[in-house]
Amino acid sequence: MKTSDILNKTKELFPYIATELFEEQQGRVYVCSDHFLNVLVYLRNSSFVHLANIFAIDWIEEKEFELNYNLWSYDHNSSIIVKVRIPREKPEIPTVLDLWEHGQVYEQEIHEFFGIEFAGNPDLSPLFLHNWKEIPPMRKDFDTEEYSKRAFDVGEREGAK
Amino acid sequence: MLNEIEQNRKERQSAWEYVINYFRKRSIWLLHYCTGCGAVELPPVMTSRWDLERFGVGPMATPRQADVFLVTGYASIKTLKRMIRTYEQMPKPRWVIGFGACTINGGIYYKSYNVINKLDRYIPVDIFISGCMPRPEAILAALEELRNMIQRGEAKGYDRYVKNYDWYKKNQKEILEREGSLFGEADDENK
Ligand code: SF4
Repeated sequence: MKTSDILNKTKELFPYIATELFEEQQGRVYVCSDHFLNVLVYLRNSSFVHLANIFAIDWIEEKEFELNYNLWSYDHNSSIIVKVRIPREKPEIPTVLDLWEHGQVYEQEIHEFFGIEFAGNPDLSPLFLHNWKEIPPMRKDFDTEEYSKRAFDVGEREGAK
Repeated sequence: MLNEIEQNRKERQSAWEYVINYFRKRSIWLLHYCTGCGAVELPPVMTSRWDLERFGVGPMATPRQADVFLVTGYASIKTLKRMIRTYEQMPKPRWVIGFGACTINGGIYYKSYNVINKLDRYIPVDIFISGCMPRPEAILAALEELRNMIQRGEAKGYDRYVKNYDWYKKNQKEILEREGSLFGEADDENK
């Protein structure tokens, strides 16, 4: 089946979503956070069994986070990205662990770097950062340069004579 | 002229030290700690093209038997922790080569939130190689210079570490075990 047909069929089933054919083999699905699990379950059952990635985008001006679920179907050789937007204030979204177990790592990472809560995920402990005390570093309002200056670029080497 | 050199030498080190240094500089075991991208320049340096062996320098697998600690590039905070542990495992005399711009001032990772900027604040570096990344010739030149420094008794990073132990530990702690945010409360409210 072509990606465009898959998108049309999904749209028929879920009239409240928006779809877009991005490239011949890549489609995009825009859906709100209340319904995104339904769409994911449907896509998974129609051969999109591979969750390649989850990634987040910080749309700071629109005060929203966008979560992208990158799915791949081996049967149709096509990829679909499911895009969900959630508010920046108290960001929370249901976990997809029940559908894809390996989503654990992605969710842990996103929680660490964006501070998004995944409701239902039992383990959101830090993975990469060491002793992190600031707001999550991938948020757009985190000033990495200023942080680097204050943390690492302090003082001269005068002590080491 | 020769007398003068001899005189200078005597002021700095005894004949015994001179002999020891002479042998030390001729059998250097490198611990190449490949933290960053600069590490890709090491295989050509060690293999037949530039052949490090002819200077009596060879790679060593464990810090407990190594003489020179080669930090090849940027070090993230987690790496720094391992680096300090590695460095402290090495027997004295031990030397550190900072390899590339990243170890000097952060290089292109200056603005990064998880990469340290000045390696010299956390472990004592004897010699830096500039460049991003340094060519094999630069690495050989640095080793040559380090050998000369060892012979002259100038490469004393390990002494510096002992003498300024508190200062180094304080800096390490600042990064590894900091309590509280670097941005004050007022900053937090804006966010
Ligand atoms: S100095 Fe350049 S080559 Fe070396 S680690 Fe830094 S960025 Fe990489």
